[in-house]
This record gives sequence, structure tokens and C-alpha cells, in this order.
Amino acid sequence: MSVAELKERHAAASETVNSLRERLKQKRASLLDTDVAGYARSQGKAALTFGPTDLVCCRTLQGHTGKVYSLDWTPERNRIVSASQDGRLIVWNALTSQKTHAIKLPCAWVMTCAFSPTGQSVACGGLDSVCSIFNLSSPCDKDGNLPVSRTLNGHKGYVSACQYVPDEDTHLITGSGDQTCVLWDITTGLRTSVFGGEFQSGHTADVLSVSICQTNSRMFVSGSCDATTRLWDTRVASRAVRTFHGHEGDVNAVKFFPDGNRFGTGSDDGTCRLFDIRTGHQLQVYHQQHGDNESPPVKTIAFSISGRLLFAGYTNGDCYVWDTLLARVVLNLGSLQNSHEAQISCLGLSADGSALCTGSWDTNLKIWAFGGHRKII
Amino acid sequence: MDKQQEENISSSPGRSGGGGGGGAKREDAAATGSGIRAGPPCPTFVGKHRMAAAISHLHTQINIIQEELNELETVGESSFVCKELVASIESVSDPLLPWSKGAPEAGWDRWFRGAHNTRNNNRWI
Repeated sequence: MSVAELKERHAAASETVNSLRERLKQKRASLLDTDVAGYARSQGKAALTFGPTDLVCCRTLQGHTGKVYSLDWTPERNRIVSASQDGRLIVWNALTSQKTHAIKLPCAWVMTCAFSPTGQSVACGGLDSVCSIFNLSSPCDKDGNLPVSRTLNGHKGYVSACQYVPDEDTHLITGSGDQTCVLWDITTGLRTSVFGGEFQSGHTADVLSVSICQTNSRMFVSGSCDATTRLWDTRVASRAVRTFHGHEGDVNAVKFFPDGNRFGTGSDDGTCRLFDIRTGHQLQVYHQQHGDNESPPVKTIAFSISGRLLFAGYTNGDCYVWDTLLARVVLNLGSLQNSHEAQISCLGLSADGSALCTGSWDTNLKIWAFGGHRKII
Repeated sequence: MDKQQEENISSSPGRSGGGGGGGAKREDAAATGSGIRAGPPCPTFVGKHRMAAAISHLHTQINIIQEELNELETVGESSFVCKELVASIESVSDPLLPWSKGAPEAGWDRWFRGAHNTRNNNRWI
């Protein structure tokens, strides 16, 4: 086939894609008869209110000497691993504020970290394009450092996100600047599946975050600089189950909703959004108007255990607590007394939902819990 | 991640062109010919090969969107999903909310028990 013919076919296919996208957008819009806030109001749902001392900072975990970039809790409730610009991972007992491990990384440019489901190992990734696994019970080497127990090689770009598959210490999913996500077998160190990549139906720009469904660990979502979020089934790597459009900027954060049927996103466009995985509907946009019309990007998000609260960290230092039902900001953790002195860069809820941990560019982590009076209903 | 690190990402050799590169970051590129990126100006064999692959990629996109359009014929309106969402939220006791369905679990308030050893708050590394 001649180049001219190929060009013609390409132009025709592009046009078809564009017109189908438009039809899809219109069809979806016709099915959105309400958003969550409109529905909740129509049902007379009461607004959530927090007093200034209801959510309180009850611990400050000090030890890092650089910005904190990432954190993760263990499923057994009380331990946290954090990754910092100082080139270390620190494992904390959040209840006692004590550090149990400080791991000096071979490559200091760490971006993400994760705790394994059994709490026996931690993983991290960053600009070295590999995911490193550390067994916390390994003996330290002669320099007193915990050795890397496994290196997962294969990404062609930085590793921006990693998460262990729930209930399996042997499998982990990473997201990368090479536009792909990878499911790894940690035992062999090999890639079990690659999601996306050239000419596959995957992301067309860097993957910035991943979140695995807690109720069905075969499903995960990935957020990308291509302004989309994609839902993947680990059994079908060849194409995404669904692509979610709507954001007008990089999708920096994705997090499954606790019921596993929906997920939230945070983006450079300054909004958080809630999507339904079965229908593909965008259920709500969480956006606070700012006077200057400039909305600071959302860098990190987390849901409370029921999903009623959405915590969102913004680049201007705000950390809004959204009432997900009425789409209103009920608190700004960034402006509370004892809060961080710089941007909150990562968030995470303890497994039982009783505490929120925030990590910040001020080098500290803080634990927040409900310290007010609880009404029994 | 701060600017310094972002700069490292975008300037690192071997990194993809997305991230901080400022190039073809958005997916719009897919609709307008993502597969042909950086192709040679003259019609070499590789150029033709790339273009054929890009067309094939667009056809895959067409099939996916068609499937999604067909699926939408049987998908209900968003109010149905909102109802499900409200029920899901209200079925779970949440320790961070100012109310509790039944008695709060004993472990919820563990963060306020006991004194903390302030010595542990010192810089350690």
C-alpha cells in the first residue's frame, strides 16, 4: 500500500475515532440525570459538620531529613512505611511513634513505597526505574544497611507507584513513566503481565498512580499524564477494561472507593472526581472555587473507611476533607493547629479506618484521629 | 514530588516523553495519530510500518468505543448508582465521623491512650 493511501486511511480512522468519542460523550451526558450531591440533597441527607477539635493531630513522626513523598500502612493497623527525598525508607510503629527500621536506599531518588500484606517486607520505586523489595527480617550488612532482597527490573521509565496485591506477599503492581503498569511475581522477579505499552490500548503518557481493588484484587485502576484513568483486569493485559475521561490535567492520584465499585481521582486540573466502574459514569466532581480562578493541583487522595470522607492534598498546602455525599469541604487539615508546615504530599488510612496519616514536604508524618464526641445512632 | 525531582524525571535519558516533558502528554494524541510520533519525514519502510501500526491502533480504538456505546444502551442513569453509593456509605461504621452506628469499637480510640515518649520524636538518622 502506498504512503498516500496509508495517510488517507489514517485520516479516515482518526475522524471516525473523534466522531465516536463525541457520540459517546453525548450519550454519557444524557445518562447523567444527577450527581451524588444532587441526589443526596434530594434525599434530605444531613450535612456533615466537624468542630475544630474533632479531627486532631495525635502524633508527629519525626525522623526524615527530606521531603516525605509516599507512605503506606500495614494491614495489621499500626505500622507505616514512608519514603523520603533523604533517600531512606522508615518503618514506624505509629502507635508508639518509634522507628523500627531505617533503610538507606541504593538509589536515593525514591518516589513510592508499599508495605506487604503480611508486614514482612516493603517495596519502593523511583527514578532508577526498578522496584526494590526489602525483607524486614533480613540481617543487616556490614555497614548496618538492610540489603535489597529482590530487584524487579523491566520498566523503561521511573517507577511512580507500587502496591502489593492484597493477601499476597508474592505479587505487586507498579505504575511507571514508561506508560505501562506491570504485575510482578516477586518470587521469580519476573513480569507476570504488562498493561499498556506501544500500540496496545493503554495509557499514552506516564502512569502516576495505581490502586488495587480491595474487594476484587484482580481489578486495579491507573491514573496518568494522559488525563485518563484506566480500569484493568489482571487476567487481560492486552487492553483496559474501561477508560475514564473527564479530567483536564494529569491524573496524579487514584484510589478505590472502600466498596470496590467506584474510585476517586485527583488531578492537576484542581478537581477530585468519583467514577463508577460498572457504568463508567462520572458521579461527582469535587472542586472548590478559588478567588483567583486558579485551582491548585491535587497531589494525593484517600477515602475514610465508609467512603463518606475524601481527603485531598493540594500543592498550596491545603488538605481538604470533603463530604463525598454533599460535595462540600468540611475541614481543611492544612490550616489546623499543629498541622504541617509545607505541602501534604501523601495520605493513607489505617486498616481499621481509625487514623489518617499525612506525609509532608516539611519532613514529618502526622497521625490524625477523631478526638471529639461521637454520637451513637 | 518537587520541581527538582520533576526536572530530573523529564531530563533523564530513557524516560518516556510524557511526564514533565511538556510534549505529547494528553490522550488527544491518540485521536489525531498517536502512533506516528517522531516518524521520519520521508516514506521509508519503517515510516510505512509505523503508519500501518497507527491505523491498526485507531481501529482498535474504534472497536472499543463502539463496544462502550453498545454497552451504554443497557446502562441505567446515574441516579441509580448514586442510590447504591449512599447505601454503601451508610452501611459502614466510620471511626472518623462524629457518629457511630452502635457502640464504637474499643481500638478506635487507641491513638489517645497512654503518654508518648517524647524522646522518640527527636531526629534519629
